[in-house]
Amino acid sequence: MSTLIIIDQPPYGSWEGREALDMAFSLAAFDQPVSLLFCGAGVNWLRKGQDATTIQQKSVERNLAAAPVFGVEALLADNKACDHYGLTEEDLLDPVSITDFGPELTSRFDHVAFAG
Amino acid sequence: MSNSLPEQTKTPAPAGVFTLVITGAPYSSQAPQTALHFARAALAANKRIDRVFLYGDGVHLASSLSTPPSDELNLSEAWAGFMAENNIPGVACIASALRRGLVNESEMQRHELSAFNLRAPFEIAGLGEWVDSAASESRVLYFHRGS
Repeated sequence: MSTLIIIDQPPYGSWEGREALDMAFSLAAFDQPVSLLFCGAGVNWLRKGQDATTIQQKSVERNLAAAPVFGVEALLADNKACDHYGLTEEDLLDPVSITDFGPELTSRFDHVAFAG
Repeated sequence: MSNSLPEQTKTPAPAGVFTLVITGAPYSSQAPQTALHFARAALAANKRIDRVFLYGDGVHLASSLSTPPSDELNLSEAWAGFMAENNIPGVACIASALRRGLVNESEMQRHELSAFNLRAPFEIAGLGEWVDSAASESRVLYFHRGS
């Protein structure tokens, strides 16, 4: 049973993305294979050098840094969304792979869930 | 132009047992009511619902304090009644629930709060309940707030 969790929400506009990340970490904690895909405004999660102290939140960059530790298999960024936000691989956190989001990707997983 | 969608040869899970995950809040979204309509239709078609899992803003559905005007549907009451009648367990995620002020008696005591407001038969538990459904043969359906 492999799961793809899709985060399509921006990092600081709501808690939906953070709660989707918790879902991914929870699957990984129970030894269920899980990957995360960021698309739409969700690719902004993956920017390097985030600082959320002025809004009294934890940087999602720090949350994401825990993904490999928890056993999340892959952090994926949708190619089109990266283009839309002007993000290249150099702008993104190290473990991220840019990929095309479509049926070929989602069909590789048994279970696909959106953040909200 | 050919259709690039891969041919679907089998369903991802047997379409007999469903787990419903509700993430949209009552009255801010249509999610809880749509999920209830789906659940009624599923049982009428002899399908089974093994669990209802409330996550994110969906936990507000489990509040015993929601009191809409008497000529409006009380979604919390409707869901609680449906689950009790059909012996369907309902679980609110503990992290989502505590963050949004939805607590049961033991969490009230643990966090030294002044009240609790979880409506029976809903219970509070961890994401492991959802993982259990996701890893099972159930088909997991998500009812989000929509855009």
